[in-house]
Amino acid sequence: MAKRHRLLWQLYPSYLIIIIASMAAMTWYAARVLTEHSRVKALSELKAQAYLVEKIVGPRLTDSYSPPLDELLKNLAPKTSSRITLLSPTGTVIADSHEDPVRMVNHALRPEIKEAGHGRVGSSTRYSYTLNAELTYLALPIMREGRIVGIVRIAEPVSKLTASLMPIYREFLAAGFVIVLLAAAFSLYLAHRINKPIAEMQRGAARFAAGDLSYRLELSPSEEFRALARAMNSMASQLHSRIHTVTQQRNELEAVLTGMIEAVIVVDTAERILRTNRAAEALFQIRHNNVKNRSVQEAIRNTDVNRFVADALASENPIERDIVVVGDSDIFLQAHGARLRDAQGNSIGALVVLNDVTRLKALQKIRRDFVANVSHELKTPITSIKGFLETLEEGAIDDPVNARHFLTIIMRHTDRLISIIEDLLSLSRIEQDTEKGGIVLEEVPIRDVFDSVDKEVRSRAKHHGITLDYEVDDSIVARINPLLLEQAIVNLVDNALKYSEPDSTVQIVSQRNGSEILISVKDRGSGIPKEHLARIFERFYRVDKARSRKVGGTGLGLAIVKHIANAHGGRVEVESSPGKGSTFSIHLPAA
Amino acid sequence: MRVRLQNDIERLKKRVVALGTLVEERVRLAVKAIECRDAALAETVIAGDMEIDDLEVDLEEECLKILALHQPVAYDLRYIVAVLKMNNDLERIGDLAVNIAQRTQIISRHPEIQVPFDYFTMAQSAQEMLKKSLDSLVNQDLNLAYEVCAQDDDVDFMKSAMQTLFGTQVRKTPDQVEPLVDLFLVSRHLERIADHATNIAEDVIYMISGQIHRHRGDDFD
Repeated sequence: MAKRHRLLWQLYPSYLIIIIASMAAMTWYAARVLTEHSRVKALSELKAQAYLVEKIVGPRLTDSYSPPLDELLKNLAPKTSSRITLLSPTGTVIADSHEDPVRMVNHALRPEIKEAGHGRVGSSTRYSYTLNAELTYLALPIMREGRIVGIVRIAEPVSKLTASLMPIYREFLAAGFVIVLLAAAFSLYLAHRINKPIAEMQRGAARFAAGDLSYRLELSPSEEFRALARAMNSMASQLHSRIHTVTQQRNELEAVLTGMIEAVIVVDTAERILRTNRAAEALFQIRHNNVKNRSVQEAIRNTDVNRFVADALASENPIERDIVVVGDSDIFLQAHGARLRDAQGNSIGALVVLNDVTRLKALQKIRRDFVANVSHELKTPITSIKGFLETLEEGAIDDPVNARHFLTIIMRHTDRLISIIEDLLSLSRIEQDTEKGGIVLEEVPIRDVFDSVDKEVRSRAKHHGITLDYEVDDSIVARINPLLLEQAIVNLVDNALKYSEPDSTVQIVSQRNGSEILISVKDRGSGIPKEHLARIFERFYRVDKARSRKVGGTGLGLAIVKHIANAHGGRVEVESSPGKGSTFSIHLPAA
Repeated sequence: MRVRLQNDIERLKKRVVALGTLVEERVRLAVKAIECRDAALAETVIAGDMEIDDLEVDLEEECLKILALHQPVAYDLRYIVAVLKMNNDLERIGDLAVNIAQRTQIISRHPEIQVPFDYFTMAQSAQEMLKKSLDSLVNQDLNLAYEVCAQDDDVDFMKSAMQTLFGTQVRKTPDQVEPLVDLFLVSRHLERIADHATNIAEDVIYMISGQIHRHRGDDFD
């Protein structure tokens, strides 16, 4: 990959090259013109000198070496800087300003002399070994009546000419250098100016790329850059609004998913979890960050759910199934699953929605059991009553001993029926009053309630041979309906008496517990097996059907306790372990 | 090739966790069955054992296939070897769940006897150990695996306490020997489940660290 240069460093060197090259070319051309011009001028000067010499020599011209002429030229020499030579048309040196003509060879072959021999002004520039310098020669033929009678040659060293040009060249160079410097500085500025909007745009684009879409590019004065900046700005604003829309839609979706009561699980085709909502996390006690991209087998350890997910992925059509999650208390789920498809219709995973119907199931079961139980509870005494009545009618009425016995039994069952119906009525009355808010609450010391309870149950406790142990703080006052609360506590104590062994103790305690007032009844009886605990407050629910009927009771006592507690804005709880006894407690909000 | 190995291991992981989940559920059902003396529930546990056996065989074949095909090394090799071993343990736990269910069926035919010893705590401990060992496998959590190994002592202790109590109870009520023996056997099955859970945790330790944690410190029977 080529090394990346900044645009500035690509522009600027080319500017510099252009400036220096054009400056050099200009200087070279000017120097040439100047040199040519000064050479022409020098030649014309030499020519003028030659004419002068011709005039001075005039008639004294001879054909061969002439000492007087030589003398004359040697005298002229110091006044002019040039070398003057006088030659015969055949090239023999007649006189010379600097050398001895006798020792000089024939000059007929020199180019300028040849030219002059033809009657023209000849000139030449060459190196003279006689003077050891580059010289410019000019030869002028001397004519008399149209015939060449001699030749004047003037020679001047070139160095004289160059020397005169040197300062001009130097000035040229200096000026050129300054101009190049100025131009270089100016072009640097220009390059910067071109580079600036591009750099600005690059910075802006980088900010867009980094997500700062609210940034706007500055509009530069140049038309192209202005259009580009505008286009980029509008792109950024469109992008911004689109991202905003997408984010908003995602947030809405997120809110919908989070707000759903149903558990939602989304998996990809490899059964890896893509999404879970809060309900799913709560249901399976998982955290989304831990299970994301994990297989559903690892994340949710429930075989039925795992199989359902696999089936939802495999099935063309949406599927539906009931799933039971077995635990301390079973969770009943209604599962719906459907394949997810992308725009092309390819399967990209599956969506599973789990609806927790445990409560619904429990309610259904309670209702079903209630109807069955109530019929059973009512039918048992009636069957007995009817049976004994029939026996009486068939003749037993005439046997006074048995008849009395039967009537007692009929009476007992009738009492039982009445008490069941009374309990049912009081239950529905409490329920109705609670709904209408018709329960009158007043501030009463719990001690007073306990006293009434004691009056009610003392004889029965004595009958069972059981000690009642009250533990109450006089200061505790609660907002209660004394009659209802009394009924509730009496029900609990009655239960405790029924299931306790003779000679044991039943504890009735009232205490303040934070923001609650706690009334508990504790026995040391047989206790209640764990699996029944959740249901004993249901109407007619019996732990041990045979036994509880033997000890009596309508099967509604605990249901009444529960409703009374609810009517007070409180609740009722039970703790029990088989063989050790049970503790029922009524929690009331503190006054 | 490397990618295919990774895919195969990923699939193996899913299968071993699925088997673990199934076994865990069976144990939970068996414990629930004995808690509620529910013979019908026990029957479903017994009937479901075939499924676990099939899964075990499939998983073993899958492991052997990967070993033969890819000849993995280092962590991958340890992973497959560990899966092979815990496969065995899981299947045994499944069998123990069936054994508990069978005891349940026998016990439910006898009248309920009051056992003063609370073996539900033991059942809970054993289940928790099994859950933790599977969690340590899923999350590759070394600390959790060590925790399981440490917890095994508690269950062993509970079982020996149970044994003492069993002795006294039999002397006290010799007429109830049969149901008592069954109840005692349940505690033994639970203890074995805890042992197998410990084995799984040790396999997880081996899988992660490459160290064999067995036979260190305490002796496991």
